[in-house]
Formats: sequence, C-alpha cells, structure tokens
Amino acid sequence: MSLQLLLIIAFSGAFITYLLGKLSHRLRDSFAVFISCALVVIIALFYGKSVGKTFYLVFLDLPLFLGLNALSWFFAITIAVVGALSIIFSLSYIRGKERTDFYYLMMLLVNASMLGIVLSGDLVSFYIFWEIMSWSTFLLISYNRGNALAAGMKYIIMSVIGSAAMLIGILSLYATCGTLIISEIAVNITSASSGYILFILISFGIGFGIKSAIVPLHTWLPYAHSEAPSPFSAVLSGILIKMGTYGFLLIMYVVIGLKVFLELGSGLLNFHYILCWLGAITIVIPTFIALLQNDAKKLLAWHSIGQIGYIILGISFGTSLSIAGGMFHILNHATFKALLFLTVGAIEYRTGGVRDLNSLGGLIKKMPVVFIGALVGACGLIGVPLTNGFVSKWLIYKSLILRGYPFLAFFALIGTWGTILSLYKFLHNIFLGQLPEKYKNIKKAPFSMQFSIVIFSLIIILFGILPGIPLKVVNSIVASFGFEPLNVNLWGIASETGALNTVNIFAAIIVAGIVVWLIFKAGRKAVSVAQDDNYAAGAYVPRDKYHYTVDFYNPLYRMISPFLKDFVDKFYTKLAGWTRNLCSGIRRLYTGDVGNYVIYIVLFLALLIFIQLNWSIW
Amino acid sequence: MNIIEIILLPLIAFVIGIFFLGLSRKIMARIHWRYGPPIAQPIIDIIKLFNQRSISHGSIFNLGIILSLAGSIVVVLFLPLGRICPLSSSGGLLVVLYVMLLGPLGIALSGGEAANPNTSIGISRKLVLSLGYEVPMLLIFLAVMTYYKTVSIIEIVTTQQSMGWSFASLPLLLSGIAYLLILPAILGIRPFDIVGAPQEISSGPMVEYGGKFLALATIQHAFSLFIGIALFVNLFLGGAGDAFTLLERLLNPVGLGCIVSFLTGLTFFLKMLVVFVICLFINAAYPRLRIEQAIKYLWKWPTLFAFAGLVIVLIIRR
Repeated sequence: MSLQLLLIIAFSGAFITYLLGKLSHRLRDSFAVFISCALVVIIALFYGKSVGKTFYLVFLDLPLFLGLNALSWFFAITIAVVGALSIIFSLSYIRGKERTDFYYLMMLLVNASMLGIVLSGDLVSFYIFWEIMSWSTFLLISYNRGNALAAGMKYIIMSVIGSAAMLIGILSLYATCGTLIISEIAVNITSASSGYILFILISFGIGFGIKSAIVPLHTWLPYAHSEAPSPFSAVLSGILIKMGTYGFLLIMYVVIGLKVFLELGSGLLNFHYILCWLGAITIVIPTFIALLQNDAKKLLAWHSIGQIGYIILGISFGTSLSIAGGMFHILNHATFKALLFLTVGAIEYRTGGVRDLNSLGGLIKKMPVVFIGALVGACGLIGVPLTNGFVSKWLIYKSLILRGYPFLAFFALIGTWGTILSLYKFLHNIFLGQLPEKYKNIKKAPFSMQFSIVIFSLIIILFGILPGIPLKVVNSIVASFGFEPLNVNLWGIASETGALNTVNIFAAIIVAGIVVWLIFKAGRKAVSVAQDDNYAAGAYVPRDKYHYTVDFYNPLYRMISPFLKDFVDKFYTKLAGWTRNLCSGIRRLYTGDVGNYVIYIVLFLALLIFIQLNWSIW
Repeated sequence: MNIIEIILLPLIAFVIGIFFLGLSRKIMARIHWRYGPPIAQPIIDIIKLFNQRSISHGSIFNLGIILSLAGSIVVVLFLPLGRICPLSSSGGLLVVLYVMLLGPLGIALSGGEAANPNTSIGISRKLVLSLGYEVPMLLIFLAVMTYYKTVSIIEIVTTQQSMGWSFASLPLLLSGIAYLLILPAILGIRPFDIVGAPQEISSGPMVEYGGKFLALATIQHAFSLFIGIALFVNLFLGGAGDAFTLLERLLNPVGLGCIVSFLTGLTFFLKMLVVFVICLFINAAYPRLRIEQAIKYLWKWPTLFAFAGLVIVLIIRR
C-alpha cells in the first residue's frame, strides 16, 4: 500500500460517500464508517515504517513529495482514530437533520486533508492540504447557520490571515533555498543567518499559532468550537488545532533543527523561552476564563486553548522530557477533549440541544454511561493519576522544575487547579444534583454514541496505566529530533532524578479501594432513598428549585472576573471595525459615475507626467 | 518487609489522625473551661456509627466516599515516615500533589449525587478555598523542589538530615512561614472552617452522611489531618530520624535496630504534635472568616511570603 493510494482512498471516499447519500442513507452511513475505519487499519499497518515517494506533477515545476516517518505516523493514527470515532458518533447525532450528505462529505474531507498535511513532505502540498482543511472546516463550523455563521466567518478570516503569513514564509524559503522539499530545506537552511530564521519562525508561527489558538491569536476558537456540531467539535478540538502544533514541531525541530532553534536569541530574550511564556499565559488565562462560562461547549472550548498552552510549553521548552510530555499531551488531549465534546453532544441530542449548565442536572440516573465517559474525560483533563493526562503533565512539570524554571511550572500547576474547579462544575451541573422535572422521561444515549464514548474512555485509562505504549512511539520521535532518548518502560519512565511508576500507583489505589470497600460492606447496610428524602425530612418540597448551580463559585467569580475579560478579542473587533470604516471610505471613490472615473484616470496620468518631468525616473 | 510497611503506615496514620481528632476536642474543651470528652471518643463514635442505619442516594454516592478514603490512604503511602517509605520512590511530591486530589474529589462526587443544596454549597466552598490555598502552597512546594533539585520527598528528607532543617535554613524560612500561615486552611480548621460551617449550611458536604458513611468521612478527615501536618514535617522540619546516627551505630550490631526505628517514628510524632497544638490554639482564638475574606487573606500574605521565598531560592540556586 503506497501513500498516494492512502490519500486517494481518503479523498475519493469522501466524495463517494456524498454520492451514495443520494441513493440511500443507510448505505452512505455504513460506507462512511467503513472508509474511516479502513483508514485507521491502513495507517496502523504503516507502524514503524519510513516511506518516502516523489511524484512529479506539472505543478509550478516543483516536485511533490509524500513521506511518512515516526512523527507523521503518530499524528496520522491520532487523526484516523478520532476521526473514525466521531463519524461513528455522528451516525445517530446527525440523523434526521438537514444536509446530512454534505455533513459527511465535509467530515471525511477534513480528515483526509489533515492526513494529507501530515503526510506531505514538501511545503507546496502541505499548503494545499492546509487550505483544503481550512475551507472545509469553515463550511462545517457554519453548518448550523445563525450564530454559527458568524463564528465560521471569524474563523475563516483569521485562518486566511494565518495562511497568508505562512505563504510569505514558504515563498521566502523557496527564494533562499531553491527547493520546497522539507528534508532539503533542512539541509540548506543551516547556513542562513539567525535573523532570517527568526523571520521564518515568526511568519510560520503566525499561521500555526492561529490554527492552534495560542493566546494572542486564539479569539476564533471559543465561538467556533461551541457553535460547530458536537462530533465535529470533537475533531476540531481533538486534532484540528493540533495541526498547528504539528506545524510548530515541523518547523522548529525538523526544518530549523534543535540546536539552532534553542540558541536563537540571547538570555531572557531567547525565542524558545518567549514561546514558553506564551504557552504559560495560554494555560492560565483561558483556563480561568473557562471557569466563568455557563455554556458547556464554550467551557470546554476555553479549556482547549488552555491545554494547547501545555503542549506549546512542553514542545518549546526543548528538553527530551518536556518534548515527550508535550507530544504525549497532544495525543492525550485529542482523546479526552474529543470524549468530553462527545458527551456534551449526547446530552444535546437527548435534551433537544440544551447545553446551558444552569438548566441541566441529575442526568447521572438517566445516562450512566455518558456520565462515566464525562468523568473519565474530566479526570484526564485535570490529570488525575491513572489517566493519560497525568503522565504527560507530570513529564512537563518535572522537566520545568529540574531545569530550574519554577515560575513556568507554577503557571502550569495553577492552571490544573482552575481546571478542577470548572470541570467539577461541568460534572455537577449536568449530571449531579436534582433532575429537572422536564427530563424525567429522558432516554439513554443511543448505541453508536455510547460506543465512541466507551472506546475513548478505555483509551484514556489504558494509556494512563501503561503509558509506555504511546511513549515508545513518542520516544522514537524525540530521538529523531536529535534529543537524548528517554529510558521508557511499559509503566512509566525510569531516570536518576525521580522515576514515575504508574503501575505502583494503580496497584495502591486498587488495593486501598478494595480494603475500604470491604470495610464499607462490613457496616450495616444502607437504605436507598429518593434524592430529596433526607433534605425535606418527608415534607413536600417544590421540585426544580433546590439545585445549586447558577454562579456556582460566586465569591470567586466576583473576585476574578474583572481581570478575565478577553481584551484581545475586543481589540481585534475594534481593528475589524476600523478596517471596515477605512474600506467603506475607500469605496466612496467608486461612485459609479463614468465622468468621475475619467477624472481619476486623467489625474493619475497627470501625476505620472509630473513625476517624469521632475525626476525623470523612466 | 515492604508489605509490612505498606500495611503498617496507614495504620499508624489512622491512629495518629484519630488521636489528633480526640485531642482537639479535649484541648478545645479545656480552653473553654469544660471537661470535654475522653480522647478515645472519635473511635467510639466510629464503632457506633458502623452499627447505625444509614441512607444512600445511589452508586456514585457510595463509590465517591470509598474513592475519597482510598485516595487518602494512597497519599499516606507516598509520604515517608522515618524509615518507613514504601512507595515514595514512584513519582515523589508531584504525585502526592495529584493523589491528594482524590480525597476532596470523591467527597465532591458523592455529595453531588445527594442533590442537597447545602452539600453543593459546601463543595463549591471547598473547591474555592482549595484554589485559595493552592496558590501559596504550589509556590512553597516549588521553592522546596527547586532548592533541593528533586521531586522526591525521601531525598528532601535525607538532605535535611545532613544540611539541617529547611525551616531553619535561611532560603526556605519564608516558604516555611508561608506554609504555617496556610496550614489552618489546609486542615480546614478555624478561621477556615468555611466548608463545614455547621451553623450556616448544616456541615456542608457531610449533611447527607449518616451511619457508616459518616464513619468513613470521619476516618478520611483523620487521614487528611495526618497528611497536611506530615507533609509540613517532612518538607520543613526534617522528617523523622535526625540525631540518632550515634545510637544506631551502638544498637544495630546488638540487633536492636528496631528501637531506633521506633525512636525516629516517635520524633516524627512529636513534631507533628507540636505543629497540631499550635494550629489548635489558632482554632480556639479566631472566629470563622467568610469565603471572600479567606481568599483575600490567602492570596495576600502567605502568597507574598511564598513568592518572596521562591525568588530567594532562585537567586541562590542560580
């Protein structure tokens, strides 16, 4: 199986699904699932292989190159798995809505283009796939119309600015290196001056930073994530924003190379150090803004930005431990954030589109599987031991502390505490507390939803107890960047300066749990009673009035909310307003009157003649 | 040997924690000029509670309380107590920081299912308060970890045996003071007993617990008392087992090494006792703060001290 064939399957699968939808919906659904699962299998078969293939197309005289190495395999398998599970989830989520054929086409197209991005070995095909991804994402974000249209517009405008910055970088690289094949650029660029490398890093950094939503460039994300259809929010937050981090890894460690990158700048103004601080700010501020949200998906969306902060901090800190942590966190965030968005999707599906945290409650009794999924996802996001999020965060913290950067570590750690508060609010307001009367007869989530949720939960716990499985792949990538490989074993990391052993923690918690459970069983049996039995002491209480959800952390809100306005977003909105005024001012020139245009032309010619007479330039 | 330690350590923690609970009632009573209950009262209560009727609200209500106590027991296994340190080599202080989450998280999940507004208010207060003290606490821990250049508690303890207590060393003095300032908040005693607040929200998260649930919650409380103080003793007061090297050299050949182990354990206990009694005096002297006042306090002086402490450590270590 060659790489072209893989991409051909991915892209043609998307269009065939669309055409099949015109024939029969059942056929289309099963074909979409088949294609996305087939991609998982094919990519899994590529494990450990390193393939590269040039195929000359008559395209600007440039060779196009497809390549697969450990880095792209790692991303490709994540894309394929998250993509397949969201497609399976969509089966029941999207059924009965309008334009379903179009929805599947776009979902599969986004997946295919992301696979294209990680498999492309030259910057031309990289850019083409990147644009396909951006545009199909735009169409999916605005799928729901209404607010979604504005969110999509915001996304595409920022995305176009990012691609433009990236295009400048690509053109300039072509001008200096004479090639656009990544491995050849990496060889040619070693002679470039550090100012030029900084220019390249910044121009690509704007493109990748917008896509992965680093703090001053994040403003599209909260709206886009919350307005998109939930299975696509899972893809968006799980893998699409990781394409930005893939780009960062590519440009920082593959193209420019570890040595040059880490020594760019001097002292505190070192480029990678500044990027670390951007990561730290990206962790703290969005995480605490998430605390103030009342929309379940918006809360998760702000956390996506916060978690990207951990990844950026990890990969730009530049030690083998931290990069391993950052890359592992890419995978982990893809699993638990996709899981959390899917659980919200299941809630939305059953409650008729409600995702307001103040009007739900008590759903644990009605949707136990979804609750377990949300609990596992929340634990992963917080980084509770025995979930994969714990291991990756542990790696990042430890490298920061051992290298003597406690303030960066402090920002990363305090972000975790913000996460705990908002995620408990998320769990409590949706699943715990009183069940509102109107949701009395709500049904369980459908099978296809439960299936995706359970698989994601299992992945999170498996990688939390045996982190060695993914860390082996991550370790080979880290080694390919030129770092010293880590001493990884199946249950954690061994090193001189404090090891991590997840199996020990797991065993301790299981044994302690069993002991406590036995003690619990030995006590007198508890009588199961209705939820308001004890509180009302048998008297009548009006239902729906005793669920403490609105302003859950009221005293804290009052203290921190003045500091947590999204100033950047306001600035951009103002900027957009100014641009619009300027443009409408310019538009006044176009009066539509031919006489005016003649005057413009005459004036312009007069100007040219005037210049020629005075300075004789031509 | 390791198995015996793993069984022994939680038992010791349980006994000390329960003893502290009894002692606190006794000392508070004497300060109030009352006679007070016997020291063994908490253990009597626990036995009684196990035989009483209780109510349950569902599976998470049961599992949450089990998770909470199990989590606290696991934290104890990661804390070295003199020679006994069964799991302290699998991750160190960072793991302790995270496993310490399981206790409150379990209670929060369990209480959440009870659907009692008082519980929810109590949990929201608990989480806000913990965010309040977590800010200075993380700065303190980072100062300690940066100073000793390790994340392992056992290494921090052994280094202190050769270099002297961290509390007595100049660079970590400010961090130590900051820890003392937030210790009442960590232990949840006055002026920070906002979470339970019996007169306002009917003891908050505990309100739905009766019978064996209340017994387990009391045991969990005992463990959390032990953890809060033991961490302070390990990080700042040299842990257990200073000043016994000479005695050890004398006794080990005779086969009486266990006496030294016992003595080190005893010093650890005495250090904890002193710290706890100081906390009790604070508990007796101050009225309860409101939650905003508590956060304002926690983010002012202790954070300032902890921040200064971390900066000093950074300057010295550079």
